Amino acid sequence: MKKWMRTETFAAWAFMAPGLLIVAVFVLWPIVYGLPLSLTDYSVIGETHYVGVDNYVTAFQDKSFLASLWNSMVYVLIVPIIQIISILMAILVNSRIPLIKAFRAAYYIPVVTSMVAVALMWSWLFSSNGVINYALIQLGIIQEQVGWLSSSSTALYVIMFITMWKGLGYYMMLYLAGLQSIPTDLYEASMIDGASRWQTIYRITIPLLRPHILFCTLISLMGAIRVFDEVFVLTNGKGGPGTATLTSSLYIYQKGLVQFNFGYASALGLIVSVIVGILSILVFRLNKKGGVQTY
Amino acid sequence: MNNPTITTKTDYKTPSPQARKWKKGIRYTITYVLLIALALFMTGPFLWLLSVSLMPGRNVFSNPPAVFPTFINFGNYAQVWNFMNFPKYIMNTVIITVMGVVFNIILSCMTAYPLAVFRFKGRDMVFTLLIATMIIPSSTAMIVHYLTIQWLNLGNTYLGVVLPAAVSVFNIFLMRQTFLTIPTEIRDSGKMDGASELRIWWQLVLPLVKPGIAVIMLLEVMAFWNNFLWPIVVLDDPEKYPLASALTYLNGQFSYNFGWIAAGTIISVIPIIVVFLFTQRYYMEGLAGAVKG
Repeated sequence: MKKWMRTETFAAWAFMAPGLLIVAVFVLWPIVYGLPLSLTDYSVIGETHYVGVDNYVTAFQDKSFLASLWNSMVYVLIVPIIQIISILMAILVNSRIPLIKAFRAAYYIPVVTSMVAVALMWSWLFSSNGVINYALIQLGIIQEQVGWLSSSSTALYVIMFITMWKGLGYYMMLYLAGLQSIPTDLYEASMIDGASRWQTIYRITIPLLRPHILFCTLISLMGAIRVFDEVFVLTNGKGGPGTATLTSSLYIYQKGLVQFNFGYASALGLIVSVIVGILSILVFRLNKKGGVQTY
Repeated sequence: MNNPTITTKTDYKTPSPQARKWKKGIRYTITYVLLIALALFMTGPFLWLLSVSLMPGRNVFSNPPAVFPTFINFGNYAQVWNFMNFPKYIMNTVIITVMGVVFNIILSCMTAYPLAVFRFKGRDMVFTLLIATMIIPSSTAMIVHYLTIQWLNLGNTYLGVVLPAAVSVFNIFLMRQTFLTIPTEIRDSGKMDGASELRIWWQLVLPLVKPGIAVIMLLEVMAFWNNFLWPIVVLDDPEKYPLASALTYLNGQFSYNFGWIAAGTIISVIPIIVVFLFTQRYYMEGLAGAVKG
C-alpha cells in the first residue's frame, strides 16, 4: 500500500465514493441539468436545438399549464386545514390514558399504506352509487346521487380531501413530538393563574409549537404543490374531467414522460420550482412576523 | 388604597371530591368518544374494503351498498391469486424492496461514517453540497432520471427502478447523527490493534448503530413497497410491475370486477400494516428523531 493511501482523507473519500456518486447522478445532476435542458426542444423525435426562452414563452400561453398551476394553488388550501386538524388531533392524543397508543397507531395506518390503495378505496366510496352518496341521501343532506369524481366542480376537492385524510396521522405525530417537548410546569403555572383550557392552548401551546408549525407547513405545502399519485390513480393519469384536477406535477409528467417533450417539461418544472421556492420564503416570513401572538 | 374587589383564596369555590370525580368521568367519556369517532374515520374505509372483499357477488354498486359482512367467502382472494398472477407481483415487490433497502442501508452507512468521525480535506464542502440539495426544490427530477436511466441502458430493469432512490441525503444525515453518538475510543482501540478502517467500520462500529439502521430499513421498506409511479415509468413490461403499480394497471383492465381489485388492494396493504404495527415503536422514534435532525 502506498503511503498516501493510508491517510484519513483517502479512507474518507473511499467510503463516501459510492454514495456520493449516486447523490451526484440522481440528486445533484437533475438540479443542474434542468436549466440547460429547458432551453432546448429535446424530445424523442428530431434533432435537438437550442431554443432560448421559447419554452417559457410557450408555457405562459399554454392554457392547460395555467389551469394546472391554478389547481395546484387551490390545492394549497389544504395546508392550513391540515395544520388545524392535526394540531387538534395531537392535543387529543397527548395524554396518558389507557389504549392511547393503539389510537395513535390507528390514526397512522393511512400514512403507511400506499396512495394507490387509498385512492382506489376512496374512489369506490365516492362513486355515484357508493356508500357516501347512499349515506348522504339517507340523512337527507343531498336529494340525488352526486358524481363526486366525475363532476368538475367537486372532483378536485374530493382528491384534496383524500390527500388530507392520508396525511393527518403523519402531521399529528410530528405535532405530538412538539407537544411533548413543552415543559409541563408552564401548564401548571397557567392553571394556577386560572387560565381556561382554550387560553392555555392559544397562549402556550400554539406559540411554543411554532417551529413545528413552520416545519409541517413547509412539508405539506411542497406536498400539496407536487401532488401527483392520488390524481394519477383517480383520473387514470388524465387530470379530468377536462382540466378540473390537472395539477402541475401531473401536467409535467404528461408532457415529459407521456409525450416525451423533455425540454418543454423541464421548463415547466423549473417554473414550478421557482413558485415553490417563493411560497416557502413567504411561509418563513409569515412565521417570523407572527400570525400568532407570542407571549 | 383599599380595594374591596380583591378576594382571598378561600372565596374560590372548591368543588367537592364527588363533583370532581363526576367532572373527570365526563371528560374521560368525551375524550374516548372523540378518540373512537376519529379511529372510525381513519380506519373505517379499510375495514369496509375488507368487508366487501370478503363478500363475492355483493359489491359497492348494490343498493343499499354493502357495508358490514353478512357472510364471509374467500372466493375473491382465491381468484385474484390464480387469475391475476399475484404471487408474481408479490415476488416483484419483494425483489424491489429488498434491493432498495439494502442499497440504502449500505450506502448511507458508508457515506455518513467519515462525515461523522473522520477529519479530512473537503469535509465542509461535502456537507454544504448535501444540505444545498435538500433545500433546492426539483420538479424536473423525474424527467432527468428517466434520461439518465435510458442513457445507462437500465430501462426495463429492477436496477433502474431502485438506483435513483438507492441513497437519500436524508438517510445520510440520519446515519451521521447516529455515528456521532459512538465514542471515539472504539475506533482508536481498533487502530491500536492494527485493524483497517473498513474492518473497524464493519466489525466494531456497525453493530453499535443498529437502531439507526432499523429506522432507515423501516422507512425504506414502506417507501419502496408503496412506490408505483417510477416502476411504471422504467418498466415496459407490466409482468415486472410491483403490487402498487400492478393495482393501477389491473384496475384499468378489470374495473368491472370490483371484488377482485378490492381483494388485491387488501393483499397489497396488509403486509405493510403488519410491519408497521409490529415496529411502530422504532418507527415513531425514528420519525421524532428525523424532525430533530
